[in-house]
Amino acid sequence: MDRALSDLPDARTPVPARGQRIALVDLLDRLLAGGVVITGDVTISIADVDLVRISLRAIIASIRPEMERVVAAERSDEPIEGVVTWEDPGS
Amino acid sequence: MSERGDAYRPRHAAPQDGRGHRLPHRMETDSEQVQRDLVRLVLTVVELVRQLMERQALRRVDAGDLPDDKVEELGLALMRLEEAMEELRERFGLDARDLNLDLGPLGPLLPPE
Amino acid sequence: MDETAIYVYGIGRDLPAEAVAGVRGVAGAPVRALEAEGLTAVVSPVSLAEFGEDALRRNLEHLDWLEATARAHHAVVDAVAERGVIVPLGLATVYRNEDRARAALRERREEFARALARITGRTEWGVKIYADLAETAPRERKPAPADARPGTAYLRRRSAQRHDEEETRREILTLAGDVDDELCAIAATRRLHRPQDPQLSGERGWMILNAAYLVDDERAEDFRTAVARLAGTRPELRLQLTGPWAPYSFAAEEEAWTER
Repeated sequence: MDRALSDLPDARTPVPARGQRIALVDLLDRLLAGGVVITGDVTISIADVDLVRISLRAIIASIRPEMERVVAAERSDEPIEGVVTWEDPGS
Repeated sequence: MSERGDAYRPRHAAPQDGRGHRLPHRMETDSEQVQRDLVRLVLTVVELVRQLMERQALRRVDAGDLPDDKVEELGLALMRLEEAMEELRERFGLDARDLNLDLGPLGPLLPPE
Repeated sequence: MDETAIYVYGIGRDLPAEAVAGVRGVAGAPVRALEAEGLTAVVSPVSLAEFGEDALRRNLEHLDWLEATARAHHAVVDAVAERGVIVPLGLATVYRNEDRARAALRERREEFARALARITGRTEWGVKIYADLAETAPRERKPAPADARPGTAYLRRRSAQRHDEEETRREILTLAGDVDDELCAIAATRRLHRPQDPQLSGERGWMILNAAYLVDDERAEDFRTAVARLAGTRPELRLQLTGPWAPYSFAAEEEAWTER
């Protein structure tokens, strides 16, 4: 197979799937089912001391379904019920 | 062989379906940065709510079921909110992209761009 | 003495002895071939302290460990794929001992045979498509109807902007879909990966497509040429080609793939 390298842009010169030039994300897509996600929980640390863990997921999850409904409704022209409410992020 | 998706839908599984290997996110900060990092976190959430409000308002306005004075009131409020957000961003040296925190399974906080 | 287990990188058939000669795997351990049922498992010993169930779960949460292990795994798969046909396995397929590994080969014999048939004579190529909306030319838009009332004017402006953005988004998705269609016509089969986490990829653009194409070796050149051509004719999209890959994305059955 032809592997000649040149100064051509990305799409003509494939990034060879060999050695250190492989991006870790591309490798992890293939080695871990479903790829990799960084969680929505953030641990804030200073000087290597973990101080607090914030569950953004819990905060946002209560808002996100509304956001998706708004977007879906925009596309379907149906009226939307309700407005954004804060719910107990226990889910 | 491969499914022909809806032309309007991206041809990949939505990031919000929650699968995929999860890696914890650690925010390493220092005494100088910590204020900026926390503000960024908070402003990101505020920006999300602002965008939701704007979308909802625009839907109501486009539907044409609001009296003119309500429309004006809504518009002024949202306009001022946007100005306030800009001021806050400027004060802390953040641009719009800085506020787009990726939440893993929930996808990026704000829709692309 | 550290307890060891068997780490399996992939499954081949009739692999020549040279395929694993001199290959080193995770923790630098020597890689060898384990035969059963006419299949060959490519394996190396690993310590339970690192790959036992609990240890593994902990280690998988550390990006640096994950990277080192992933690269070591890939080095083995890649080396063997150059010399023979191998169905790559995912990260950390570990068996207690050789007997268990052979039993697994026996149980999954047909599944592996199907996978081998699916990938023989073919290579995987990855294509990712990004849209950098900031680069997209702004649309010709007639100005929003003027209004003396500032709040109302603001809303009309924002509404027009959002409609434009939505239109642009739809056009870009359609363009990306066309690219995928053209490449699917050349490839034998195509599977989709999830969009990548921007914190890991370092990319700020909008990732629209993250696809793996299984292409007959005789058509590899056509495929690469098509990607280059498509990249050139669609300035709104940024295409990135990776490969050649051992066929990681095509090891599992189709149903298992879409379930994951």
